[in-house]
Amino acid sequence: MFKSEINYKLVSRVIGNLLLVESAVLFFVLFITLIYGEKDGWYFVGTSLFALLAGLLMIAFGKNAPERIGKREGSMIVTFTWIIFSLVGALPFWLSNSIPSFTDAFFETISGFTTTGASILNNIEELSHGMLFWRSLTHWVGGLGIIVISLALLPVFGVSGTQLFAAETTGPTKDKIHPKLNETAKRLFLIYLILTAAETILLLFGRMNLFDAVCHSFSTIATGGFSTKQASIAYYNSPYIEYVITIFMILSGVNFGNYYLAYQRKFDKIKENEELRFYLILLFVFTVIVALSLIDFSEVVTGSSVEKAWREAFFTVSSLMTTTGMVTADYMFWKPLTWIILITVMMTGASAGSTSGGIKMIRVVISAKACYYEFKRLIHPTAVIPVRYNKHVVREDTLTRVIAFTLLYIVFALFGILVLAISGMGFLESIGGMVTCLGGVGPGLGLVGPTGNFAQIPEFSKWFLDLVMLTGRLELYTVLMLFTPAFWRK
Amino acid sequence: MNRGLNIRLILKIVGGLLLVEAVFLLFPLIVTLIYGEAESRFYLRTIGIAAGLGLVGLLSGIKAEMFFGKREGAVIVTFTWLIYTLIGALPYWLSGNIPAFTDAFFESLSGFTTTGTTILNNIEALPYNMLFWRSMTHWIGGLGIMVMFLTLIPFLGGTGYELFSSEGTTPIKEKITPKIRETAQFLLLVYILLTALCTIALTLAGMNLFDAVNHALSTVSTGGFSTKQLSIAYWNSPAIEYVIIFFMFFSGINFTIFYYIYKSNWDRIKKNEELKYYILIFLVSVLIIIYSHIDFSKPLTFASIEKSVRGSLFIVTSCITTTGLCTEDYILWNSYTWIVLLVLMVTGASTYSTSGGIKVARVVVLAKFCYSEYKKLIHPNAVIPVRFNGYIVKDDLLLRVLVFSIIYLLIIVTGTFILSLTGLGFEEAISGMITCMSDVGLGLGKLGPSSSFAEIPVISKWFLAFVMLLGRLEIYSVLLLFTPVFWKK
Repeated sequence: MFKSEINYKLVSRVIGNLLLVESAVLFFVLFITLIYGEKDGWYFVGTSLFALLAGLLMIAFGKNAPERIGKREGSMIVTFTWIIFSLVGALPFWLSNSIPSFTDAFFETISGFTTTGASILNNIEELSHGMLFWRSLTHWVGGLGIIVISLALLPVFGVSGTQLFAAETTGPTKDKIHPKLNETAKRLFLIYLILTAAETILLLFGRMNLFDAVCHSFSTIATGGFSTKQASIAYYNSPYIEYVITIFMILSGVNFGNYYLAYQRKFDKIKENEELRFYLILLFVFTVIVALSLIDFSEVVTGSSVEKAWREAFFTVSSLMTTTGMVTADYMFWKPLTWIILITVMMTGASAGSTSGGIKMIRVVISAKACYYEFKRLIHPTAVIPVRYNKHVVREDTLTRVIAFTLLYIVFALFGILVLAISGMGFLESIGGMVTCLGGVGPGLGLVGPTGNFAQIPEFSKWFLDLVMLTGRLELYTVLMLFTPAFWRK
Repeated sequence: MNRGLNIRLILKIVGGLLLVEAVFLLFPLIVTLIYGEAESRFYLRTIGIAAGLGLVGLLSGIKAEMFFGKREGAVIVTFTWLIYTLIGALPYWLSGNIPAFTDAFFESLSGFTTTGTTILNNIEALPYNMLFWRSMTHWIGGLGIMVMFLTLIPFLGGTGYELFSSEGTTPIKEKITPKIRETAQFLLLVYILLTALCTIALTLAGMNLFDAVNHALSTVSTGGFSTKQLSIAYWNSPAIEYVIIFFMFFSGINFTIFYYIYKSNWDRIKKNEELKYYILIFLVSVLIIIYSHIDFSKPLTFASIEKSVRGSLFIVTSCITTTGLCTEDYILWNSYTWIVLLVLMVTGASTYSTSGGIKVARVVVLAKFCYSEYKKLIHPNAVIPVRFNGYIVKDDLLLRVLVFSIIYLLIIVTGTFILSLTGLGFEEAISGMITCMSDVGLGLGKLGPSSSFAEIPVISKWFLAFVMLLGRLEIYSVLLLFTPVFWKK
């Protein structure tokens, strides 16, 4: 099967290089602490140096690595990069005693890098500016990483069918890393940067201060969800800020390939894009349902009450569907009906090729179509009815792969709910916690809901959810592959 | 479709089946005579209606052409269940034992789909004949579904049943072969034999004959109606509980296994993967629940362990076989047992049994498929076929099994959503939907073992009635009727 051993040297070299990047990012936080005259800058410098050293060592180890990279190397690099980034990134929190327990510090960091936004902090405002900035920055770095990986790297490894769209944009389709890869990555980075900058500026207009504006932009564009306030966006109590963040959450849930198409003025292709259409339609429909359920018809319905219901519904549905997880209202006080909608959107997620988590709209659409066509075929057994997506026929093997992914996602979620329940969490908490961490959302149901946090859950559940966040973020297979014996066999 | 629907044939078959129901209705009539109860006239009226309608159906279909397609199959299956339920609801309603027609229909459908959810708050208040008719509907439903699985449902396609039948029992051509008829007769014999054995065993364990017959009817059909409000807990008898566990478990086995036992074909039984995984899932779940059920803070005695083991065995068997009888209020247990139980309800037991749910065979095929997809990721060029019972599963069958399971889960999600729209709480909506879809009968929260479905809104009742039918007839036969393509000529 495999003709060779895993190319550990190359894996080490690539991760080493990425550690140098993290080292630079960590060093950058020093300036924030200097601006605010805070003392914990040294923890960042220390961690930065540690990352630098570790990175250099790993590069040295992989010095003469052969330039051979396959699926196995790919999934090792991706998985371990996230784990090592989180381990290193947790150090400032832990060393400075901002988060005394290492389990919690690691949870917070991996929640950051996987753009989940589930927090174990009870009093966020207590943290120094440096720490708050680093928290939001982990989101931003994680989001950037996932964009590059899902649009530029994953298609190379042929994982999980996202190449469907990539094939139409600029992503590489062959089995080798395309010469265009660098180019693509650069463009994606630029789009990411522009979105962040635009949101920061708009938030500044809403009278948010610069620090909060930057932090919230980082965590919105990455569809993360960390806020600098305990009450999240509800703190500002400003409709303008809420609308701005809602819009940018939705924009971050769009496949970034579309922005590139817009830049090239290929608007036809954007119009044809079924994923985008379904994403927006679904978002709109769910918002309307939730908004209707929020209006209290027993009282006089006024314009402002409708606007408030609409705004809260719009914000919450967008936040959970794009798996961001910022909150303006405590939906635990809403009707249970809305919880079911919210859990559903947490599962579906937004588009592939964006920073959002979940199953992804493209897979939902294709699975739905496959089901419908299977159905038609029941009545016309001899008719050939191919499943089409964006006007192209989806090949049978891609189809089964997409459906397998969807099923695996659901099964994994069920399995996780069971594990969490056994580890001692309640019924609502297990369901909410598992769905939210697997989708990379943030708030769950019950005690881990929008006003709660993950501080109280058992130690074991925390470590399990770490694994779940990572697995969900890297689209199941990348991580789960490492657990199969077949992976390690020569 | 190039022909119109063969309505005459449908009328003829459904009419014929209605006459069968009229015959079945004679049994509760006999019960009224034995116990000297006053309800006999209601049965006579119902029998009159059933027989009259049946004859009308038969007569209007007398000149029916003998062509028979998928559409006719779907219509026959769905309408037979509906009409049986309507007729079966009449005794409850006419006699005023269940005053609301919605409730009578719900109870009757819950019977014929072998679900076992009840809207009754005081079961003991019913006269013997009504209790007997309730259990009887389960048994008829179980019988009906066995016949359907053997004849019509595989023929409709789509559910992947071709895969699970042993060779010879699949209607490969559009005809029912003599071989199938033989198997069908054997399976019915097994069904009757199990019921008889269960009755005898229950009597020996100390139940009176009436209760023993009723519980045998509802156990072997994996239904779940009891003659007591407390269900099996009423007797508080380990012997009775073990007997019921045993028969529930056997009713969840693929009935073709009994055929192999009869033929002493042990090799095939050993090779049967569905049986293997059914037992495996069963044992693992029992262990998990026993662990949660034993109170380790107190000294362990044999009696306390035995009680936990028995309670866990009972509830796991009851849920996985989608029976729904119960001995203890599991709402008071750890919440994770609920999740285990809900998962078991969704998987269900074996194909070719009377149980509901997705069925173990499909779950196994799915799991194998996921694992092979997984291997393919690492070895992209390798051909890794999915095998079931030693045979390679063809790609189109595989896709069908996948799609079936996804639709099943999707319906559960949508249904939960609709139920909560109609005003049910979170736990009630999830568990009510799963329990009705898989035809179990036990729910969580206010739908738990110590309460009933009486309190839920009327609209939820009708919706759940629809769901029970959908789940029982393996989705497609019912859903097909709702597609525009179906009615196009």
